[in-house]
Amino acid sequence: MSQRSLIDLFITFVGRNWQRILRLTGEHLLISLIAVGITVAVCVPLGIYLTRNERAAPYVIGLANVFQTVPSLALLGFLIFVFGIGNDNAICALFLYAMLPVLQNTYTGIRGVPKSFVQAARGMGMTDFQILMKVQFPLALPVLVAGVRVAMVWTIGTATLASAIGGGGLGRLIFSGLSSVRNEIILAGAIPATLLALAADWLLKRAQEYFNPSARAKRLAKRHGISAEKEANSAA
Amino acid sequence: MSAERIASGDGVAFKEVYKVYPDGTRAVDNLNLDIRRGELVSLIGPSGCGKTTTLKMINRLEEPTSGSIVVGGEDVRSSDAVALRRRIGYVVQEIALFPHLTVAENINVVPSLLGWSEAKMRFRADELLEMAGLAPERYRYRLPDQLSGGQKQRIGVLRALAADPQVILMDEPFGALDPISRETLQNELVSLQKNLRKTIVFVTHDMDEAIRISDRIAILRHGKVEQIGTPEEIQTSPKNDFIRNFIGEDRLSQMSPDDSVGMLLEEPWAVAAPSESAAAVLERMEENDREFIHVVDPKSGVWLGAALLGRVRRAAVAGKSVVESLSRDRKLYLEDAVLRDVAQMLADRDISIPVLDADDRLLGVVTSAGLARLAMNRLRGKRPSPAGGEKKEESR
Repeated sequence: MSQRSLIDLFITFVGRNWQRILRLTGEHLLISLIAVGITVAVCVPLGIYLTRNERAAPYVIGLANVFQTVPSLALLGFLIFVFGIGNDNAICALFLYAMLPVLQNTYTGIRGVPKSFVQAARGMGMTDFQILMKVQFPLALPVLVAGVRVAMVWTIGTATLASAIGGGGLGRLIFSGLSSVRNEIILAGAIPATLLALAADWLLKRAQEYFNPSARAKRLAKRHGISAEKEANSAA
Repeated sequence: MSAERIASGDGVAFKEVYKVYPDGTRAVDNLNLDIRRGELVSLIGPSGCGKTTTLKMINRLEEPTSGSIVVGGEDVRSSDAVALRRRIGYVVQEIALFPHLTVAENINVVPSLLGWSEAKMRFRADELLEMAGLAPERYRYRLPDQLSGGQKQRIGVLRALAADPQVILMDEPFGALDPISRETLQNELVSLQKNLRKTIVFVTHDMDEAIRISDRIAILRHGKVEQIGTPEEIQTSPKNDFIRNFIGEDRLSQMSPDDSVGMLLEEPWAVAAPSESAAAVLERMEENDREFIHVVDPKSGVWLGAALLGRVRRAAVAGKSVVESLSRDRKLYLEDAVLRDVAQMLADRDISIPVLDADDRLLGVVTSAGLARLAMNRLRGKRPSPAGGEKKEESR
């Protein structure tokens, strides 16, 4: 099979099946987003809780680490016993997979806020909750978003395995391409999955930048009609 | 200074305060300290003397084991810790401006906790920035990272002032700055304090700093106040060898001609009122064998002049009031007079020199005897140990 003919075959396949590919891409994205959404909803509060209960931290993070190291296919297979076949199983497995970076980054991000800030905040009369919301969380946010970014990219990649246990997504194309030994179908699944992962990575990188304190200050200055950058330069 | 202005208890008062940690360490050991309203008191001492613990007990970052601490007439333990802290300014050594907040937002941390309106906070931040000589339109939206070290702590001080608390705690606020910014900020604090008259508790380990900025200095050791007094009192009459060592031998021996005359002030032996007749004043002077008397308005305390014996005698013969015999050219102002001036004037003519405040009120006099005493004290202070300032960190 020559290169040219693979490209021809690929184009023909996509031309005939683009609606299906789009639908599977949407499904893939949905599964990934739900899984990462659950991960964030569970692991951010859990990570914050661990910063207040340091003794539990190594065990909980250790557990997340274990999930991380189990081969993904094996984990998916094992979860069939719990959830049966389908997307629920896949989402649960993806959640267990994505836990570690989000949990770890939340925990280290918040712990990484220098004690002096916390002391100063307390000394000025912030309650514990205010210290968390006004000082620790905003300062940990770039680290936290970095964790979500890693989780998102992993999840989009791993979600291709979901179809192995009866779930949907672009994995369907990849597996059917593998079983019928048709590379153009594998590509039709793999290329959109890769593009999805790259797009998600890019978006979250932008989010990371958006939450950066200096970007926030620039926005503030802009809103009030002053260029902070120009000011800073003229001062330097 | 304004020490007696307002009755004590209105500032910050410690009464029999103990702080014992679970491991048995007595950080604060029967501490009694009365800081008056509007006074800047430095807490200084070797590391481990309990100065920072003492400070943190005022805003309840530390809780005393026993005893009472009264701030503005209220026992700190009867008030809610969070509300108490919002009423007390706090400046820390690490500066700790929040890096994700702009300068204006940092200044307004406490006002925003108190629920001030946006407009009011904006106005307050601009007002404070202007007071510190930082153009608001340039600095309002800066981030802490875009400021120099000195500017950062200037904002740190403004942040403590934002909600206009009467009491401000400063925990080695200038300790991390370079020497030049440190001195600038010390001077700014002094001039700020002249206008604002806050009750400031200032922890430092730097004796020069304490001397420069304080109304009074409390030297702590083993959780107790070893000596408390004005910078002049501490320097001229250190209570014991510990204080002498702590102040630093070199400082005691190093009498700079540029030191303030403040440390030499003495009560004038007697003053006359302008309404007295020259004859009556003359009689008093001759009785006490004085050749010099200061005439002071009894109501305002304003110094009207000095009367020399010869001139008083002449006025008495003519039956005039003592006011007729005054001369006003020989005087010093506390603000700008240094020891060099005193030495020159006393060498010129050995009679006491009146020292006045900016409003011409008589604060005291300086005499050649006082100058000699100061010199003696400092020379004596040097002798016991040649080790100098090294002793500072030693005793724990």
